Amino acid sequence: MALPKIQCVCGFGCGSSLMLRMAIDDVLKKNGLEADTLVGDVGTCLSNPCDVIFISRDLAERIADRAEMPVVIIENFMDNAEIEEKVLAYLNEFNK
Amino acid sequence: MEELVKKDHIRVGLEAPDWKEAIQLAGDPLIESGDIEKQYIDDMIRSVEELGPYIVLTRGFALAHSAPCPSVIHSGISLITLKDPVEFGSNNDPVNVVMCLACVDKTSHIETLQKIARVLMQKGSIERLAESKTVEELYQRINNAEEV
Repeated sequence: MALPKIQCVCGFGCGSSLMLRMAIDDVLKKNGLEADTLVGDVGTCLSNPCDVIFISRDLAERIADRAEMPVVIIENFMDNAEIEEKVLAYLNEFNK
Repeated sequence: MEELVKKDHIRVGLEAPDWKEAIQLAGDPLIESGDIEKQYIDDMIRSVEELGPYIVLTRGFALAHSAPCPSVIHSGISLITLKDPVEFGSNNDPVNVVMCLACVDKTSHIETLQKIARVLMQKGSIERLAESKTVEELYQRINNAEEV
């Protein structure tokens, strides 16, 4: 089965999105799970093939109505517990 | 200890009337060291005006940055604390720790940023950064994960 492809998005794809991808990679490793993670910027993220987008609340509004893939909102990029909960919840759905 | 943020790029207890000035003050050390041109600070401010306060990543902390561009001469990171917190219009307001990230491309700073993220993800780390009384104290806390 193909691995889920998780895109982490921020304004330019080089700041907070990198931090988020690292946190998600940590969650995957800790739970013995596998997924492809990538980063993107809010302007072009919808044309990057992926299964889900993880993004901050402020930026989510800009893509939510156009996104064909699920969009998961992260409130606090430094909260490992929130990120873990949302990643695991998404992967549960994906694997159904 | 590996230096993630240079001492010259750290300031504590600055006074900013609003978030724009806070970003300006956070970027100043990088201008002084010749790592960025003033245009980059304007770009960081404009990106918040255009995209919203998403740079406030966690309670009290903003990561100001813009896209890699010609006004970034060398990649660099600066860090300031504010005497009085400012509002960015984010759920994670108010902000009293502002980091400014300038990168020449999208990948060469990844390793440094990851190490900084590990420091910031420790519980209570932002509060401890904000409480730093001196540049030396803040320098130790951001560069030495065990100190934070």
